[in-house]
Amino acid sequence: MPASASDVLKSAAAIAKGMGITFKELMSPTITENYPDEPPKFQERYRGVHVLQRDENGLEKCVACFLCAAACPSNCIYIEAADNTDAVRFSGAERYAKVYNIDYNRCIFCGYCVEACPTDAITHGHGFEVAGYNTSTLIYRKEQMLVPLPPKP
Amino acid sequence: MPYNEPSPLEVKVLTRRFGLADSASLDTYLATGGYEALKKALGMTPGEIIEEVKLSNLRGRGGAGFPAGTKWGFVPRDSARPKYVVANGDEGEPGTCKDRLLMEYDPHQLIEGMAIAGLAVGAHAGYIYVRGEFRYIIRILERAVEEARGRGYLGGNILGSGFGFEVYVQSGAGSYECGEESALLESLEGRRGVPRIRPPFPAVSGAFQSPTVLNNIETYSAVPAIIREGGAAFAALGTPRNGGTRLFCLSGHLNKPGVYELPMGFNLLRMIHEVGGGIPGGKRLKAVIPGGSSCPVLKAEECDIAMDFDSLAKAKSMLGSGGVVVMDEDTCMVQAARRIMEFYAHESCGWCVPCREGTNWLRRLLRRFHAGEGSRSDIDLIGDVARNILGRTFCPLGDAAAMPTIAFVEKFRDEFEAHLEGRPCPFEGRRREVPAP
Amino acid sequence: MSKLVRLEIDGKPVEVPAGTLVINAAKTVGIEIPAFCYYDGLTLQGACRMCLVEVEKSPKLVTACTLAAAEGMVVRTQTPQVVQARKAMLEFLLTNHPLDCPVCDKGGECELQDLTFRYGLGESRFLETKVHVPEKQWSAVVYYDAPRCILCYRCVRICKEGMGVSALAVVSRAVDSEIAPNMGDHLYCDECGMCIDICPVGALTSQDYRYQTRPWEMKHVGTICTHCADGCTTTLGVYNNRVIRGNNHDRTGLNGEFLCVKGRYAHDFIAHSERLKCPLMRVDGKLVEVSWSQALAEVAARFGGIRSRGGKFGVIGSTRTTNEENWYLQKFAREGLGTGNIDHHRSGDVISLLSALKGRADALAATSDLYERKAALVIGSDLAQQHPLVAFQLRANWRHHESHIYTVTRGPVREDAYSRLRVRAEAGRELAAAKSLRQALQAEPELLILFGDCVRGAAVHELVEFGDSLGIPVRYICLVDYVNSRGAMDMGLTPGLLPGYQPAAAPGLDLAGMLAAADLDALWVVGANPLKNAALAAERAFVVVQDLFLTETAARADIVLPAACAYEKTGTVTNVCGEVQRLSRAVTTMGAKPDLEIFRSLAARMGLDLGEPETDRVYAEMRRQLPVPAAGEAARGVVASAGDTLFTSGTLGRYCGVLRNVREAPGGLYQ
Repeated sequence: MPASASDVLKSAAAIAKGMGITFKELMSPTITENYPDEPPKFQERYRGVHVLQRDENGLEKCVACFLCAAACPSNCIYIEAADNTDAVRFSGAERYAKVYNIDYNRCIFCGYCVEACPTDAITHGHGFEVAGYNTSTLIYRKEQMLVPLPPKP
Repeated sequence: MPYNEPSPLEVKVLTRRFGLADSASLDTYLATGGYEALKKALGMTPGEIIEEVKLSNLRGRGGAGFPAGTKWGFVPRDSARPKYVVANGDEGEPGTCKDRLLMEYDPHQLIEGMAIAGLAVGAHAGYIYVRGEFRYIIRILERAVEEARGRGYLGGNILGSGFGFEVYVQSGAGSYECGEESALLESLEGRRGVPRIRPPFPAVSGAFQSPTVLNNIETYSAVPAIIREGGAAFAALGTPRNGGTRLFCLSGHLNKPGVYELPMGFNLLRMIHEVGGGIPGGKRLKAVIPGGSSCPVLKAEECDIAMDFDSLAKAKSMLGSGGVVVMDEDTCMVQAARRIMEFYAHESCGWCVPCREGTNWLRRLLRRFHAGEGSRSDIDLIGDVARNILGRTFCPLGDAAAMPTIAFVEKFRDEFEAHLEGRPCPFEGRRREVPAP
Repeated sequence: MSKLVRLEIDGKPVEVPAGTLVINAAKTVGIEIPAFCYYDGLTLQGACRMCLVEVEKSPKLVTACTLAAAEGMVVRTQTPQVVQARKAMLEFLLTNHPLDCPVCDKGGECELQDLTFRYGLGESRFLETKVHVPEKQWSAVVYYDAPRCILCYRCVRICKEGMGVSALAVVSRAVDSEIAPNMGDHLYCDECGMCIDICPVGALTSQDYRYQTRPWEMKHVGTICTHCADGCTTTLGVYNNRVIRGNNHDRTGLNGEFLCVKGRYAHDFIAHSERLKCPLMRVDGKLVEVSWSQALAEVAARFGGIRSRGGKFGVIGSTRTTNEENWYLQKFAREGLGTGNIDHHRSGDVISLLSALKGRADALAATSDLYERKAALVIGSDLAQQHPLVAFQLRANWRHHESHIYTVTRGPVREDAYSRLRVRAEAGRELAAAKSLRQALQAEPELLILFGDCVRGAAVHELVEFGDSLGIPVRYICLVDYVNSRGAMDMGLTPGLLPGYQPAAAPGLDLAGMLAAADLDALWVVGANPLKNAALAAERAFVVVQDLFLTETAARADIVLPAACAYEKTGTVTNVCGEVQRLSRAVTTMGAKPDLEIFRSLAARMGLDLGEPETDRVYAEMRRQLPVPAAGEAARGVVASAGDTLFTSGTLGRYCGVLRNVREAPGGLYQ
């Protein structure tokens, strides 16, 4: 049975409506990110690989109080503390972290360590590419997480 | 310290030798009835002496006003340990300067009083603990003790009676806290001047863990007159529960400041205007500290009051040690509170937490407040901190610091409010302030 | 028992002996009254004002730490006034206390932190600048951070009253008050660290623990200190298989909170760089590192050879190895090697004492007697130097119970300060001098006699006769040097006596005899250093040494086997009073083996059956087979104390950095 004119019109309208959406979306800005060709975008509070901060004098903020390690539910933070001396000073207080390791095999990115930190020394960065062929590469050392010193003027 | 011009309103009992030439010498003392009381007391039983002192209504002149006779009665006579008589000459209360005069101008009266106290409690040694800064007074006292010993008024066998009594003069090291009786005893024994836990009270275990009578210089100085003239005669000079006369130290904004011996219960306004010669420049009275810096301040309208222990207690202040500090209308009350707190924060012995930390906090607060950097909430905070000290310290020094502060905040809140942020002290320039130490 | 009084605390009826402080009475019914300056056993202060409570009929709040419970007293500890006062006191305390808890060593076990958490305001109204004073180092061990100090005076009191040293005092006044050491800017004292341990906050910190870790990160292992014979429990803080600190904050063990410099700090020998970690074998006259199996095979072969040809063995045991090891060693020597030549360094004549007492077990004192007996006689020992816990307990007894102490010593000792009578005696005249005290001693209700190595052999019998003649109950302590000196004798590391002081059928050579025997074929030295001051006559003897370090003896050895120290093994040790206490393993050192394990391996290689060598089994066997100490025969051989002081500890002392670094070392206090 041949299609009636109203059917044709209906179909044309539906196609127009559908294509309308397509054209509208064609014009609007894209949401899809071209990772890995382009760097991904993050929300400010994204919890990625930790960053160990420095204070305004370039000293490490971490005073090795072990509160992050105590707060950590997966027990992935390992610290060895040591005493600052007048000759060699790492942190602003008496103590600093000689060794500060986070085991990203175990870290669940819960952010408790950041909340526990009394000196705002540990924060979450936006790093997320923590995959590897060898689990031992996933134990990050202090040097890998520490904010680099600004170049000396 | 030169003795001021006496006032015709004075009743001179303790100060009757003040102004005489060479009044500190034994000859002058003997010529004016000296050591008569001791001779009389040697013929009395200890019980009779204590009864006489009780009869005189003599109340401790150091500040607390505890009846002296009762205190002496607490000493256990049957104790096997030696007993001691200690005179508290660590006069450090700001506004008080009477003991210094008594020691300087009439040291034998003090020695005689102590010897009589020794008789009453069975002690054979007495210590005069003198404030460390009074170096020249230590010399006067030592000379007087030497003289008295030389003529048999002190020593192993006083006037042939068989009773022996020695007096030793001991210098303090300049701490206000050592005016507190147990801290004084610690210092006397050669240790750091911090108070002791009580009980035991000194009457039971004082100097060298032995029963000890500890009174103010003025208290002992009143004893010879009481024994000589009788307790009743001394009591009659004052009001019913406040026997005798007492030395008032008038200072501050007065035309004739000085030390005056007046009967207990003398009216404060009369004291200011008739004895002290009124306020210079015809200015109005603003406030009076009635008994030394630890006593809560009285507003001008509260000053029509009898100066005795009970009346002042009723007005929520204290007779204290008799240091009357008069402040006229140009005085900044915040500055006054700050100045007093500077003293206590400096003199706190540091033993207990509320006094050590609290006085320092109040000092910092009041300094900041007076410098115009306070906020409204600080006014309540000052009162709060003071109330947190009050009644919770180890010894009365904390109370002495807290009470005047609370009174200043309560009675002169308007002046504190006038100091709020951004405004300079409203009294700035009206008077040349004494710089802070 | 004193009279009981009934009072009411927070509505709960309490019954305590008259004179009990309210703060302690409250504890008996589970009510905590917070306090900083109050410390059990020290004089009362009433300084921190944290323990203010409401007492009926008292207008002001009263400090519970200075108030004795009285009949009918009604105390309230939870009223709004009390709660407010506690908040106020904590607020005051925190005004000048730096809030550097994340850095502070005390963070996590700080009393100020705990009480602030429980009773504090949570917020401070103090906006002024805090008083700051730089941190000071008082000695090689002690640091003082004045701003953190809350002036509870515990350190001052424990030093003066507990230790009898008085190295600390308060200086300055008001908010500037602080604690100061006795020599101006540094300490001259026992370096015992009691002040650090007793500090409720982080004002006093110790060199070895400073900024190393946090309390909750450590494993806390309670074990027995390996130095002197007093048998103190030291709780080792272990982090990462490393002993970071020693203390006894939890007051376990018979020493309570007490520890001396050795118990607290002298654990650094464990990780000393010269620690032996590999067996050594003499090859071409030089000691070279070899494997364990090589070394053990060599020892087994040589021992086996000497045994089969009936050669002469000598075995020297240790005063620091466990009872189980000593038991096993003597069994090894007597049954395995078939020799009676076994001895150790004897520093006190326990053997003669037991023989003189003829089995009277109640005449041997326990550690608790030091604190409880009404009188004590100390003969020939500088207790404060050689037996710090004994000295501490006797001093506490004198402070708390006014006990009478009598001293008979060669020179001045610290006990002189509170002894009732003191007699100086030349060496060898001590016993006669002690007898001169007869009249005073007879008047005592009971007596404790402590004697050192100056009374030995027949003199011990004479002393016991003297004690018996006093007509009062007398108990004895024979002072010995090291952690298991007593155990070595109990376990029969002696030539004439088997375990339990049973006489041996054929007594062997004693220590001096072994060294002097020119025909000795093998000398086996376990944890001892006999060649430090002596020579080995048998030049051709095969010498095997088990030790921690390359001592003079080990340097002469043909085989050196690296041994584990007492902190690295389990087992039991017996202290100077004969109390048997258990060690716990805190750490392990790679390469070193516990002596028991070495014995077992050797026994296995030599094909000996000496019973189960596992520690607990050996202990059980010991318990089963060890007879009650019986009256043995008189001891043969040398009895001499090494005369160690607070800052020496035999071989171990040479490898303890702390003991060598304090300026008082070595033992200069009384020289």
